[in-house]
Amino acid sequence: MTDEIDYEVDIEDLPAKPSRGQVGAPSVVVDNAHVTYRVFGGRKGGTVDSKPSVMSRALNLGRPATGPIRQVKAVRGVSFVAHHGESVGIIGTNGSGKSTLLRAVAGLLPLTDGRVYTASEPALLGVNAALMPKLTGERNITVGGLALGLSASEVASRTAAVAEFAELGDFLYLPMNAYSSGMASRLRFAISTIVTPDILMIDEALSTGDASFRRKSTARIEAIRDNAGTVFFVSHSLASVRAMCTRALWIDRGVLVMDGDVDEVCDAYHLYVQGRKNASSGARL
Amino acid sequence: MTETNPAEPKRAVVATTVPTGALTPRLTSEQAADLAARSGLRQSGSRPPLRLYIRSVWSRRSFVWNLSASKAYTKNQGSYLGQAWNILRPTLDASVYVIIFGFLLGARDGIENVVSFITVGTFAYSFIQKMIMSGVGSIPANVMLVRSHRFPRAVVPLSAILTEAVLFAPALLVMAVISLLAGAPLRWTWLLLPVASLILVAFGSGVGMLFARLGARTPDIANIVPFFLSLGRWGAGVMFNPMKFIDPDGPWAPLVQYNPFTVFINLFRSCIGNEPSAQMSLGLWGLALGWAAVALVVGFVFFWRAEETYGRD
Ligand SMILES: Nc1ncnc2c1ncn2[C@@H]1O[C@H](COP(=O)(O)OP(=O)(O)O)[C@@H](O)[C@H]1O
Ligand SMILES: [Mg+2]
Repeated sequence: MTDEIDYEVDIEDLPAKPSRGQVGAPSVVVDNAHVTYRVFGGRKGGTVDSKPSVMSRALNLGRPATGPIRQVKAVRGVSFVAHHGESVGIIGTNGSGKSTLLRAVAGLLPLTDGRVYTASEPALLGVNAALMPKLTGERNITVGGLALGLSASEVASRTAAVAEFAELGDFLYLPMNAYSSGMASRLRFAISTIVTPDILMIDEALSTGDASFRRKSTARIEAIRDNAGTVFFVSHSLASVRAMCTRALWIDRGVLVMDGDVDEVCDAYHLYVQGRKNASSGARL
Repeated sequence: MTETNPAEPKRAVVATTVPTGALTPRLTSEQAADLAARSGLRQSGSRPPLRLYIRSVWSRRSFVWNLSASKAYTKNQGSYLGQAWNILRPTLDASVYVIIFGFLLGARDGIENVVSFITVGTFAYSFIQKMIMSGVGSIPANVMLVRSHRFPRAVVPLSAILTEAVLFAPALLVMAVISLLAGAPLRWTWLLLPVASLILVAFGSGVGMLFARLGARTPDIANIVPFFLSLGRWGAGVMFNPMKFIDPDGPWAPLVQYNPFTVFINLFRSCIGNEPSAQMSLGLWGLALGWAAVALVVGFVFFWRAEETYGRD
């Protein structure tokens, strides 16, 4: 699960609009992707599928309604093609499956069904990349860099720069338990941008840190975007999506409901969210 | 409610409608596969061929090493005695067995030096046990790592087992010292103890990877494995000589004598070299190497065959 942070965007923080020039050859082809999570000991109800049958209800009479395994169909048959030179925004309400889809396309979460084809290994820049809380920041940089595929000497030569970017100071040599959540997410961001990928996926990573760090990280993402072939960008800030992307995908409850020009999709999504707000306030009255 | 909001800019209302269902894909599966092939894309999440996989694991060896060194460092960090528990725990275990089997029950048939016999057995077996258990839990324990980076997943169980190996090094020394204090005569064969440990690590890596695949999808395995491990503890003669309790020509004898647990414990005892039941012999080393090779090949291939599924809940 991702913890999603809503935040205000300062207009001057927004990067320059990418040019909608030439779109290159396909770099990512997603064909009917499905991802299903198994959850142990969940409670019935909510978004969880499978209604209990009369038989199983009879068998479970008098027992708490917890089953051994539930399934959450987080992504249900998404297909699209992305090209070199495209920045694709992914929008949708909380829990609609954006993070799951990104992880599946990055090859980090196995698909239950369907296929994903990519031109190179995508790099996912997320708010919850793996850091080990008992290890020092320095050690985490080493492990993170090695996990990203750098050699030991490459990591060693870049450790200072990463620590500098994350503004850790002497905390670099303390275990991560001692970090504030802002420090931890700064380090996470710094680690995951050690290498410049060809396909970059950003999952709410811009929402970390204070205003000055956000400006710094936005600049870094811009630089990566200008080098990278394809950028996928998940954010709850429609202003950021409009500014960063040329195209947008709208995911709702695991399915792709709209795919097109960023302004069209954002307008439609905005309208939809507005409608939901009105509906809920209307119900309360 | 799709009533227009006065604050809403007009163009949004005119230009768009809220979609009501899934988009139909623009390409069929065949067309998608064809397009991918024409653009030179590779299917992601597919399992690499075995040779390539072995090479990629090898190229990540410094990652394996770093991960296990880090994990070894954080183990037992939350307690006052810290790393000392790695030595204290098997020592306490061993002393319990020495008191019960050596002195209370007097099960010392065919044992030359009961303290050294039980200490070596307990230390070696607890090492085997830890390697297997850390293999079982390795994927669930590192699921965040697996979900945030792409690397050959064999790195995860291998580093978990290497962690145990790193922690075993001081225990091996303590085991030798206890044997010496208990009166086992020092011989040159004691120098073979690290070699025996390396063969055992190879065996543990294989078995650990095998159980890592099982434990990745079925966490229940973590509850079943200890049962087999305690069966092994009694069957392999960690604290007594089982051959004194069963018919040496009976159907159970080969199982008790040649199972990998017995073989490795006897290999350690043969290095200490004072037990008549565990004499240093080429056959014993051959058996140990055989078990290690079989476990390594079977475990690695078995783990690799599910490579694309790790990280799924
Ligand atoms: N590890 C998990 N186990 C079970 N269900 C999960 C897990 N992660 C996410 N989900 C579920 O999958 C759905 C999509 O989640 P997610 O991809 O995080 O949505 P988003 O990023 O769009 O907010 C949600 O219903 C969420 O509850
Ligand atoms: Mg998310």
